Amino acid sequence: MPRSIPTGRRIRERRLSLGLKQAALATTVGISPSYLNLIEHNRRAIGGALLTRLAEALGSDRAALAEGGDSALIEAVQAAGAAGGVAEGPLADAATLAQQHPAWARLIEAQAEAMAAQARTIEALSDRLSHDPTLAEAMHELLSTVSVVRSTASILAQTPEIDANWRGRFHANLDADSRRLADGVEAVMELFDGRATDGGERLLPSEVVSRFLDDAGHRFPALEELGTSAIAPLVAGLADPQARALAADILRGDAEDAARLPREVVEAASGPDDLIAAAGGDLALVLRRLGTVDPGRGLVVCDAAGALLRRKPVAGFALPVMGAGCPLWPIFGALARPGHPISTVIETPDGAVWRVHAVAQAAVPTGFRDVPVLRATMLLTRADGTGDAMPVGPGCRVCPRPACAARREPSILTGGVALDMAPVTEDT
Amino acid sequence: MVETNDGTPPPGRVLLIEDEPNIATAISFLLGREGWRVSTHSDGATALDAVARHTPDVVVLDVMLPGRSGFDVLGGIRAGTGDVRADLPVLMLTAKGQTKDRERAAALGATRFMTKPFSNQELVAAVADLARGPV
Repeated sequence: MPRSIPTGRRIRERRLSLGLKQAALATTVGISPSYLNLIEHNRRAIGGALLTRLAEALGSDRAALAEGGDSALIEAVQAAGAAGGVAEGPLADAATLAQQHPAWARLIEAQAEAMAAQARTIEALSDRLSHDPTLAEAMHELLSTVSVVRSTASILAQTPEIDANWRGRFHANLDADSRRLADGVEAVMELFDGRATDGGERLLPSEVVSRFLDDAGHRFPALEELGTSAIAPLVAGLADPQARALAADILRGDAEDAARLPREVVEAASGPDDLIAAAGGDLALVLRRLGTVDPGRGLVVCDAAGALLRRKPVAGFALPVMGAGCPLWPIFGALARPGHPISTVIETPDGAVWRVHAVAQAAVPTGFRDVPVLRATMLLTRADGTGDAMPVGPGCRVCPRPACAARREPSILTGGVALDMAPVTEDT
Repeated sequence: MVETNDGTPPPGRVLLIEDEPNIATAISFLLGREGWRVSTHSDGATALDAVARHTPDVVVLDVMLPGRSGFDVLGGIRAGTGDVRADLPVLMLTAKGQTKDRERAAALGATRFMTKPFSNQELVAAVADLARGPV
């Protein structure tokens, strides 16, 4: 895996190669030279509009400056190559390919994504055969009707001396049931036909929504200003009604969060601790607000099963597009101690260090007999590269760490790491 | 009433619990021809009452019933709910291919299975076997 170069250093290198003074560049983009200095030394996270302005001032592409911009593309190409059986030698050319032929590299990435989406569709379809109530009902109807037809027809065939009344009755039943059979077959065919044509992009509603959120950077200024009345126009562009409903749900949560903890308050804070009082002690609200308002921070929300409900990536911290994350992420540890806030430092495989705030909270149950629903929230903030940081990864499939006791499946990056990792030692 | 095909003593009562009327008609005809007195019942919710009222020698029970599933009815019979004979022979009708249904019915104590679509001869033979009791 290529070691990613932090955004700050890229900006500095680009500025120096253009022979620009720090002060001059700072004036152009409207920030103080000292702030630019902090950015260049990776001491301030950067994203959003400022990164765009800097890219313009440096005559560069925003994606080329953003850390993880091209390294994400390189990883995607490598992953696609590894999955397609490309040998280790040529696999190393992925970096060159992504840098010199970015359009082709993006095509490879898009095709790999499309293949993964199709694999999931196939899985979902085979699942439907056993779990789809509509299909199960249609099949049951067919089977019952076939049973009647078979039983009745064989009575008629094997009982030539049958009484005329019975014969009349059985003939009538056969007539009715053969018609039912024809209708039933038609219904089943329609069921499959409908499914084949409404496949569209073959994305699950959750994938459509996560793409929708990512495209907006998880930031919806309209929600901050207009509240829930802004939701309908925001999600109107989503064609799939299920995806639209899911997105509206998420935005409703965001709008409620925004009403409880306004953007000005969040922007004035230097960290989560500053917001606890304003949030009325709701720690998860603090993390969600910082995560959505500040483009320089990442946000992950999961449920008690570890399923990732929300993943807002931040440059440099790769979040898996689908599937589970790294079991070593503090968010999962938070689930074990609901209500206990966690503040810790982690290190990604590329050596970047992150401050993590996490907390698991139960939604207030509506009654004493209800089971509280637990959700954990994790905020990711770039930190200085010092101290004891806990090594974590982006999720096993794309994690290069060879010896990890928590590994659950081989990585596609390291050419098939065996699962016989070092035994987990017990504390004595 | 038709005479039985062999010399065995005349069969007794069968309660057929099946919501599909045309299957009920066919099965009633088949068993009636063999000398069985067949009663039919189409609702799962009141099926146990019907078993208690008819005191059949054999029950033919469909899995898919309105009101209450055939599994629940079978469980009720085996639990001896409402003065029902707990060891009553039960022939369970399951849909073809539904191995899980079959396993579930076996765990609940179905005496025998038949998958839909069934062969008429096999159904008649199975009911006769069940009436004779365990060998």
